[in-house]
Amino acid sequence: MLIKVPSVANLGLETIKVDIEVNLANRGLPGFEIVGLADKAVAESKERVRTGITSSEIDFPQKKITVNMAPADVPKEGSTYDLPIAVGILSSVLNFPIPEKSLFLGELSFDGSLRHTKGAFLMALFAKEFGFENLFVPLPSANEAACIKGLKVLPVENLTQICQHLLGQKDILPIVYQPAEESIFDKPEFDMKEVLGQEQAKRAMEIAAAGGHNIIMVGSPGSGKTMLARALPGILPPLNEAESLEVTKIFSASGGIPPGGSLIMQRQFRAPHHTASLVGLVGGGSKPQPGEISLAHRGVLFLDEFNEFPRTIMEAMRQPLEDGYLTISRAKQRVVYPADFMLVASANPCPCGYAMHPKKTCSCAPTQIAKYQKRISGPILDRIDLHIAVMPVDAEEFKNNQQGSEFLEESSKIKKRVVLARQKQQARFASEKIHSNSQMKNNHIKKYCTLTSDVEEILRQASLKFNLSARSYMKLIKVSRTIADLDSSVEILVSHMAEALQYKPKNFESA
Amino acid sequence: MAQHNEVGKIGEKLAREFLEKQGYKILEQNYKTKYAEIDLVTENQKKLIFVEVRTKVGEQFGSPEDTLDRKKLWKVLQNAKFYSGFTGWQGPERIDAVCIVLNPDFSIDRLTHHENIVS
Repeated sequence: MLIKVPSVANLGLETIKVDIEVNLANRGLPGFEIVGLADKAVAESKERVRTGITSSEIDFPQKKITVNMAPADVPKEGSTYDLPIAVGILSSVLNFPIPEKSLFLGELSFDGSLRHTKGAFLMALFAKEFGFENLFVPLPSANEAACIKGLKVLPVENLTQICQHLLGQKDILPIVYQPAEESIFDKPEFDMKEVLGQEQAKRAMEIAAAGGHNIIMVGSPGSGKTMLARALPGILPPLNEAESLEVTKIFSASGGIPPGGSLIMQRQFRAPHHTASLVGLVGGGSKPQPGEISLAHRGVLFLDEFNEFPRTIMEAMRQPLEDGYLTISRAKQRVVYPADFMLVASANPCPCGYAMHPKKTCSCAPTQIAKYQKRISGPILDRIDLHIAVMPVDAEEFKNNQQGSEFLEESSKIKKRVVLARQKQQARFASEKIHSNSQMKNNHIKKYCTLTSDVEEILRQASLKFNLSARSYMKLIKVSRTIADLDSSVEILVSHMAEALQYKPKNFESA
Repeated sequence: MAQHNEVGKIGEKLAREFLEKQGYKILEQNYKTKYAEIDLVTENQKKLIFVEVRTKVGEQFGSPEDTLDRKKLWKVLQNAKFYSGFTGWQGPERIDAVCIVLNPDFSIDRLTHHENIVS
């Protein structure tokens, strides 16, 4: 008896349909074979299915069972095929039909219950696109699939339950989508209020958050660079619907959505250590997995101690910084992962860290400083829109600030301005594919950032004086556009451009 | 004779009776070659059928099917090739297994005939 159970395979962010064909032959020694380019985890599903069915108090058929996964030339991986295989076998034992327009996915536990399985969200997107109506997914993954509207997501707790449903004895009720509640873990570590002094750096952070600009902070140790970066999530605007879908896709593919989780609504803040491997950061592997830069998609990638990162890693980020996506090519497959992130970097000016310190003397030789700063390559610095020097907070100022700290601005207030500026950008780019000012290409700049003659004159003088590259020139216009948005100004004014010029690349040695 | 050999003999007898009832013609029993032994060589519907008989008392320590490992199947296959070569058989062949589970009093608990076990 031959039974077909439809399921899916996720290749990166792409989803294809996989038919699980289960055949129970009357001839031959009883056994269990799986064919169709199955990896180790799929081959091991034999044991999970056998024990899961036996634990559900159903006799495992003493027949020669052959399972084929079609198309047979696509490598199958993971534990997601346990449920379709078990349903195929049970369907021939208990004689129930496989419902039409349905997809099955789930990992079995030895006791016959179903475990949280990654990729439920991607399957739901696929089902929506290709007209499947019923999705059978494990209960802990059901909410993840249910955020796609117009589908019947049936949460399966164990094999007994799905048998009763398919035999028509006791129906499983479709799950109702519940948005994830904001947990305490989503709260940022610091509030902008807690950062004393550093008003210019805070302003730069606000601009970066509003326009999605890359930012680098250079300063001596203990001046608050890391604290500023850690407070950044508190002023980031929330993800819009389209962005949220993109981020959730990546997390679903990499198994980053917790059981019971659903759409990711917060911008991600990823802070990998500088010992991270190249593949860990940009993604890769023989079965390409998303790296930190893709997990930071539409969010923040914070690289603390930027010059400690190996050169290869920094250079590998050049292309995704420009394009917003990364193509990982391996012998077996090619995967495109989106990687449109906001880079926040922090660095010391020299090995001892006190090169720019107003009071302490730097103990480094000039050659050492030059060598240290050369670790960050020019092309990378050129791709960073905002360059700021974080000066150490004076002890006197610190004391005054401590007293007046209740007057400092809270993150929530800054966030309101940022959200307003983002809304303006979204309205502006409604007909475009981009979301924020930092993503503007030259044609967008031409279209949306017409400069008055005064502003153009300032920019011309500045580019002559500082020898700005063509890219830096465009970056200045983008930053000034964001500053104008924060100021609720339709036009870019001279003051906006003047402020933008302060954030241009600097030579920190002379600072 | 040790008990497990006796059980084997009883099993082979039961299998032979079972196959005869099904209309199989028994050509040889315990056919020995220099490799090993074939329990039963039969003919049915112009097919030469080699039968390996496995017998166990009770299934607490594994079923008779479990004892048919790859090594045993390979041995049976080699033997079958030798037999058909030696007798000059021209025609289809098949290797079957008859698995028997006995109760402690040697009455039949289960007798299963698996067709075409080597494919």
